Amino acid sequence: MEMMIRKASVCDFVVRIVAFALTLMAAIIVGSDKQTKLVPIKLFDSLPPLNVPLTAKSTYQSAFVGYAALSLVVEVVIRRGSSRWLLGRMIVMVDALMVGLLFSGNGAASAVGLIGLQGNSHVHWTKVCNVFTKFCDQFEVALSFSLLASLAFLFLLLRPLFTLQITH
Amino acid sequence: MASTTDPELKSSEPPPPPPPAATADAVDYFKIDVILRVLLFASSLAAIIVIVTSQQTEIVPLLTGGFARRPAKFKYFVAAFSVSGLYSIITTLASISVIQKPQLKLKFLIQFIFWDTLILGIIASATGAAGGVAYVGLKGNDHVSWNKICNVYDKFCRHIAASLAVALFGSVVTLLLIWFSAKALHHRVPK
Repeated sequence: MEMMIRKASVCDFVVRIVAFALTLMAAIIVGSDKQTKLVPIKLFDSLPPLNVPLTAKSTYQSAFVGYAALSLVVEVVIRRGSSRWLLGRMIVMVDALMVGLLFSGNGAASAVGLIGLQGNSHVHWTKVCNVFTKFCDQFEVALSFSLLASLAFLFLLLRPLFTLQITH
Repeated sequence: MASTTDPELKSSEPPPPPPPAATADAVDYFKIDVILRVLLFASSLAAIIVIVTSQQTEIVPLLTGGFARRPAKFKYFVAAFSVSGLYSIITTLASISVIQKPQLKLKFLIQFIFWDTLILGIIASATGAAGGVAYVGLKGNDHVSWNKICNVYDKFCRHIAASLAVALFGSVVTLLLIWFSAKALHHRVPK
């Protein structure tokens, strides 16, 4: 019994570090995601195409860094007070909040990414991923990292419930 | 905890057989739970209705020279909130039935936290996705020449904004449900 609880807490700690690393990597990848490209634009048919340098840059940077910082705080808290019961409850609450925030951030980023990938012909939002290929690839990688991170936080929240179900 | 309140309870009323303090606390919690679940149902229903009635067709001569269809369908949003509405009906009934049968409380609390967390993930991601697209619609994005559309589709955008506000409220309610369940579980699990 004691052994099982200790094993579970070690497992929790490892998953938390993995989640932190994933959010940090997602933040760094999204933050460094920038691509400038010369795009030929035809203003009139008679004139030769005009080369315009366009820059794609992400605006979700600050949000992801915020998530990473928040998870770092959570991690420090659990390292300090894993034995204290009140802090344990606080961590459950913050974890639930994190799950909500990470999932909504992922939803927002993937929805905008989908518009970038496919475009929306109704309102003339053209797809941009055929031009900014490197940007979109990098964005996808960051998105999958942060999806994994949010799954890790989901695991952290649900793992104690399984032990409860076994022991009771 | 129970021993301090026991004499007062015995003096005022005939003593009930189960431990009084614990059940009183848990019954109170399950009442809050039922109220929050009804709120979740109301907010998801309102979000669906508002977003489904948001269709607007507008003659936009500059863009297409004809009728423009409604800009986005928000299918995922509607699907997610249908799921949460259905889920909230079922769990409201379950929560009411748990008030009748207090011996099942621990099992139901565990199940409630589990499923509430999954529903929180679903509706938070739906709210985030709709919010992200709505933000692009509101502000546009000059870098990739996505024009803002909310100056054209004003009614549509007002509907989306209202629906998003209600959806955000629903997400917060789900978060509160998880917090209250965790608190009740913390009271009930012997440590």
